[in-house]
Amino acid sequence: MSDETGNLSIDFLVGFTIFLIAFIWVASMISGIMVGLQSSHIDYDAVAYRTGVILAEDPGWPASPPWEFYGDGQKYEISRFGFATSKDSPGILSQDKLNRFFCSSFIYPDDYQSRAIFGDFPYQFNISVIDVETRKGQSVGGILPDGYGYIRRLVKIKGSSNASIGLAYIIAHKYNNTAIPSDLNVTHHEFSILINNTKLQTQMRNPTYQIDPSREQIMINITDLRSTIVPGYNSPSISNYSKLVNISLTSINVYKWDGGALSMVRTFNTPYIDGNSSVTAPPCIVSDNISLVINPRVFDIMQAGYSQVYFNLTFDLKTGIPPKSVNSSFLNNTFSKPFDYNYDPANVTQPRLRDAVVEVAVW
Amino acid sequence: MVNDEGQLYTIEGVAAALIMLLTAYLIVGATSMYTPGDAHISDMQLEVLGSDALTMMDIPPNGTVTASPLQQIIENDSYGGGQFRVMFMNYTNVSGYGPKHDIQFSANYTYRVPADATLMSVNINSSRYLTGGEHAIRVTKWVIVNKKLPPDTGVLGRRAVLVEVLLWRD
Amino acid sequence: MARLNDDAQWIILMGFLVSFSLFFLALIINQSTVVGQTTAESVIEFPKNDIRDISQVIKEHAGNNGTINDPVYQDIIALSIQRKGAVVNYTLNTVYTRGPLTTDMRNYSLIHYNNGVTTYNENWTSY
Repeated sequence: MSDETGNLSIDFLVGFTIFLIAFIWVASMISGIMVGLQSSHIDYDAVAYRTGVILAEDPGWPASPPWEFYGDGQKYEISRFGFATSKDSPGILSQDKLNRFFCSSFIYPDDYQSRAIFGDFPYQFNISVIDVETRKGQSVGGILPDGYGYIRRLVKIKGSSNASIGLAYIIAHKYNNTAIPSDLNVTHHEFSILINNTKLQTQMRNPTYQIDPSREQIMINITDLRSTIVPGYNSPSISNYSKLVNISLTSINVYKWDGGALSMVRTFNTPYIDGNSSVTAPPCIVSDNISLVINPRVFDIMQAGYSQVYFNLTFDLKTGIPPKSVNSSFLNNTFSKPFDYNYDPANVTQPRLRDAVVEVAVW
Repeated sequence: MVNDEGQLYTIEGVAAALIMLLTAYLIVGATSMYTPGDAHISDMQLEVLGSDALTMMDIPPNGTVTASPLQQIIENDSYGGGQFRVMFMNYTNVSGYGPKHDIQFSANYTYRVPADATLMSVNINSSRYLTGGEHAIRVTKWVIVNKKLPPDTGVLGRRAVLVEVLLWRD
Repeated sequence: MARLNDDAQWIILMGFLVSFSLFFLALIINQSTVVGQTTAESVIEFPKNDIRDISQVIKEHAGNNGTINDPVYQDIIALSIQRKGAVVNYTLNTVYTRGPLTTDMRNYSLIHYNNGVTTYNENWTSY
């Protein structure tokens, strides 16, 4: 017959199985007692650090032409946010980038998740930038809960440069038509502004202090136009006369110096006239001031990032009905030099660095 | 006809299957949760803050001034220490919407003595005296200064020094 | 007594074998998470700020018309190895590019950094 030695009975088997299952369960429970954190919680500080580095030390992508000048319709072409002015200047943030980042056209959290936080896990976050001088801050994201991962970066914000051309400046630089024989001989005026990118790039190489119109927005304000109409404007009878004159900005032409020749490339149709909140395309009537806000896209479209560019404003002065041309000296630098947007603080308010703090909280 | 000989195989098979399935379930549930805590996070945050503070102090305020505040502090021993303390504490204790810290520091700069190729350290300033019980991290910054470093008695020229700051939280 | 057929107990044995081996593997994986490097440790260990700093100071030295073996060079090499534990070595040359109207002078440097864990080499030309 068969030998029964070495065989186990079913009762024993069932009992043994139940015992083993219980044993394995207890063994796995013991190792669970000793460790605290869940895997998604442990990540918060690391994700906050990574986002802090991306925002404070990287210019974003695309960097040139800069992502902050893409319109709302093109926001899907922005693949990464970043505040730094350039790759060579980490920690120096550009004001334009900050303004665009906190613009409400980006939706929290989706737009920011795919461009600053990255990863598949849907973290909640709060990104804020506080200006230390003014103690004013901007932030995007949720309210901070009790437990969150956190990083704080110290940075400097590089302000934008701008130029203001007012009456005193116009007189000091003789930007009125002073051709002999008569000051009041001309009805058509041209005012020329030079943006010499070649010199701007070579005179100051450090991107922290450089004025780079192909990467930052620049602004030129021309004010006190009415007071330049006739010289001696303080005299009451003459100033009454000047009130009746219509200053007509006929065009703003953009010329580029290319290979030894100056050629007109395009017209600039987006000046802000008289402090209006929206642009008015020339030809238009100007009361007293004009603001040119020049976007890097202008230079990018012309491929003039390294060339000399001239903005020529042409004015016609007319009065009465039917309109008759008026002779005046007005704003005219045909016989003097173009206004040079350069590193001279007397001409242009230079970009200023101010301290700020970038904080990223993730939970 | 019908007997129970084959049923042993069925029961055994089912039991074996249950054991394996249960074990696999336990294991999959057990291994994914256990990630150890990161004790060095606070060190990393402090180091980033200290590095940033020294970097900000080493940026000249505008394009025409070539010397940064940190450079001027080292070149001028008499008032440099006080100015370093004010600037550094302002940077490290600034707070935005996040938590407020109480960060203390001890700073010095180290330079080389050409005569015998040793190093000497000069104290810049400190906010507390080091007792040795602080859990401190070190941040450094290279600075090129125009200074005569004792015991050097030669011509005034450019030298490179290493600014070292120990940082800790109170 | 009639003995039941125990031949199929080898199935149970195989079941146990598989279970025990799974358990053993799980234990190994469990222990492996403890020996890995945490994120903060790897951030602290990678010398990002050190490399940026040394690179910047060498470029500043080049911009000040520095040369090899002048005091700044000796300072950087000595302080770097003694206080930072990193071997730093660099060359400083000037490169002349001749254009139609001008001769441009540029500074050129090969920078080497090694702190024992991370090595960094840079080939830099000024603008």
